[in-house]
Amino acid sequence: MRSGVDRFSVVFQLPSFFRSMLCLVAMNKITHAGLRCWPWLAGLVLVAGCGKAEPPAFHSNVVEMDRQGISPKQEQDIANILGALFGTPDKPFVLTETGLDRKKLEQAAGPVRSDQFGKESGLYRRHCGHCHGTTGDGLGPTALVLNPYPRDYRQGKFKFKSTERPDKPTTADLEMILRHGIPGTAMPSFDLLPDTQIQVLIEYVKYLSMRGETELKLISAMADLSEGTLEISRTALVDEILKPVAESWSTASEKIVAPAEKPSIELALSIEKGRELFYDTKRANCIKCHGLSALGDGQTNDYDDWNKPLHEIELAIASERESLRNDTEMPAADRNERESKTATTAAILKSDSLPVRTITPRNLRLGVYRGGRRPVDLFRRIYAGINGVPMPGVGPTAPGGTGTLSPEEIWSLVDYVRSLPLEAISEPPRQRPTAAQARF
Amino acid sequence: MNTTPLELESVWPHRWAVALVCATFPLIWVGGLVTTYDAGMAVPDWPDTYGYNLFLYPWQTWVYGPFGLFIEHGHRLLGSLSGMLTIAFLISAWWCQRRGLVRWLAVVALAAVICQGALGGMRVIEDKVQLAKIHGCVGPAFFAFAVALAVITSRRWQDADGVQNRAGLGKVERLAIVTTFLAYCQLVLGSQLRHLPAGSAPGDFRVALVFHLAIAAALVVHIFLLAFQVFRTQRDEWSLVRPTTGLVALVLVEVGLGAATWVTKYGWPSWMADYLWAADYVVHEGSRLQAWVTTAHVAMGSMILASSLLVALRSVRFAWRGSRAAGQGSWLMEAAR
Ligand code: HEC
Ligand code: HEC
Repeated sequence: MRSGVDRFSVVFQLPSFFRSMLCLVAMNKITHAGLRCWPWLAGLVLVAGCGKAEPPAFHSNVVEMDRQGISPKQEQDIANILGALFGTPDKPFVLTETGLDRKKLEQAAGPVRSDQFGKESGLYRRHCGHCHGTTGDGLGPTALVLNPYPRDYRQGKFKFKSTERPDKPTTADLEMILRHGIPGTAMPSFDLLPDTQIQVLIEYVKYLSMRGETELKLISAMADLSEGTLEISRTALVDEILKPVAESWSTASEKIVAPAEKPSIELALSIEKGRELFYDTKRANCIKCHGLSALGDGQTNDYDDWNKPLHEIELAIASERESLRNDTEMPAADRNERESKTATTAAILKSDSLPVRTITPRNLRLGVYRGGRRPVDLFRRIYAGINGVPMPGVGPTAPGGTGTLSPEEIWSLVDYVRSLPLEAISEPPRQRPTAAQARF
Repeated sequence: MNTTPLELESVWPHRWAVALVCATFPLIWVGGLVTTYDAGMAVPDWPDTYGYNLFLYPWQTWVYGPFGLFIEHGHRLLGSLSGMLTIAFLISAWWCQRRGLVRWLAVVALAAVICQGALGGMRVIEDKVQLAKIHGCVGPAFFAFAVALAVITSRRWQDADGVQNRAGLGKVERLAIVTTFLAYCQLVLGSQLRHLPAGSAPGDFRVALVFHLAIAAALVVHIFLLAFQVFRTQRDEWSLVRPTTGLVALVLVEVGLGAATWVTKYGWPSWMADYLWAADYVVHEGSRLQAWVTTAHVAMGSMILASSLLVALRSVRFAWRGSRAAGQGSWLMEAAR
């Protein structure tokens, strides 16, 4: 519903609308005024009509700050701390504790440049910023018209990786994404870039992600203090907030899901086993989301971790408005305060987030996998699930534990998923195991 | 207007104007490539190139240097070629043309080309995306202006009495003017989509996109209406039929290029996700296909603008000559005088 309303609101984006109309009206006048001066007047109209571009600056996570009741003073403090720890989009800075390479970051940051010898800088702004945003908040200029939305790095959650579900991607994982792109989305392949530039961009993604996570931690820390501000020593700041974030990145390569050898079982048998599991609502229950036909038409009304909090804020706003409407005895002062607070939250949500979307489970009959098509990629996807997305992992939550499914069973699921594009579409409901059939 | 017999009018202004058009079209292409490859800042100084005078920059470093430098410096060289051709046109117009209109248009052209060069320079010195956007909008306008100069200095322009059917000209005239106007708006909107300042809001891009699509539809409709009117009433007037036919072909190609630009840049829309070819599609950033499709879309836009301006100018001229012959004035030519 939300997206329908929002599409409509294009019309109501009055400033931009008027600006465009102004251009149209002025251009009309100019055509009439004769050919002699129109290039110049057109230039003037453009100057007048385009407004100023903001200088690139990191943008605070105001949605989260508003949610946690951060005061303007605290917001400024957080921005100052982040400035001291990470610098600016033009002049990045990092402490050695982050393990990040400042030379690389400097090449990725700043305005787009290249010199006589072909050395390029400003790589992030050139290649990524228009989708992922200067801050890495996924709010770049083009983000609104893309589906799925570009990744917001600030939560430190990545979908397609080789590590356990909650862990960070390894450098190799990010390299894989950058080189191959994500099929079926706007995320391009940057395979044409030289290797050094890919490494530089990966470093910058980590940098933005660390910055965003540090900001989230600072917000929580400040929120606990209600009014006052965080009196924290530099060492405590680094040890308690920055280091754990940096460590989660530096230890990622120790968290790789290394599946046991694929058991040597006859393929047809394995596929059959996999199919049973796929439809087994007590165990793997893949049909819950991917649907009986595996076309991705099961549960389609859930949210991913980027949209869920926004959806909850929307619900909270709606219920607050509802209670304000119903409670007629409320003192005027109270009412005004609550109304203006709700209005602020709504305004922040509108200006600093994209319209909420539900997550669509994948159509598994196409044989296209965004996280890689090798059997081991699929094993990892099914074992660990997809971080940030409802898709659950069926392996153990901690290495060595027991999961919903054993590694052999996961391999069978891999075989079945890989066979799905070849299976006739009417087959699954007909051949569904009777046990599962009874439940529908 | 004077009454110099046609044989006495020099052909040189027209020749220079045509040369200017021929030099400006590649300039638009290369300018488009500079934006496509984000090479606007590949040469950090202006008017010099890495400290060298523009014309003295060693050609080996230019030709064998990085691609960004190659196209940016090439754009500057081509730009100065256009400037010099404009000067040549100006001289020939004052030397061997007696028509005041052409002479003064030549002065305007020189001022325009100088300003456009200066805008390009400011874009580099100030490093502002906004300036790049304006530079990118004035470029096609100058190209269209050069086409106008070529049209106005042509024989057909002065020999405009020969139009057979004046009855339908009014509609053609109106449609062609509106089409020109729409074509330019479309370019301005397109430049909004191409030049994205780092801090601009997602909403702005979407508004520009929606308008770009809406005006695309309006433009297609207008071009078809124009073609319909031209073929209905001016079938024998080749100087209208030819460019209108060209316009129809161009706009069809342009719509295709526009769609291809989107797909090579952002992939297929998500509602196509259930088709294998869409789900499997990976955008390859910086691929030759992406760069050429995008730049061709930009350059064809200028072509459409210039062609519709050509039709507009000719139809206005024919209608004016016609109404003068019938003893009436025409508001548009009055305004242009
Ligand atoms: C045209 C828009 C676009 C551009 C340009 C772009 N991305 Fe993306 N990117 C996306 C989208 C959309 C997604 C989300 C895909 C998804 O959720 O399946 C994404 C996802 C990602 C992810 C997350 C992958 C994961 O496993 O979760 C990373 C990392 C990433 N992009 C890095 C980059 C980098 C680095 C650049 C610049 C070199 C870049 N992107 C340029 C659109 C873009
Ligand atoms: C709670 C809902 C849910 C359940 C249960 C679920 N999935 Fe998914 N699955 C998703 C969603 C949502 C996506 C798309 C994620 C994205 O790209 O953002 C997905 C994507 C996938 C992908 C594509 C991965 C890629 O690399 O592109 C595979 C394969 C997959 N699921 C297999 C399974 C299997 C096998 C099961 C059963 C064990 C299962 N899923 C259970 C929601 C679910």
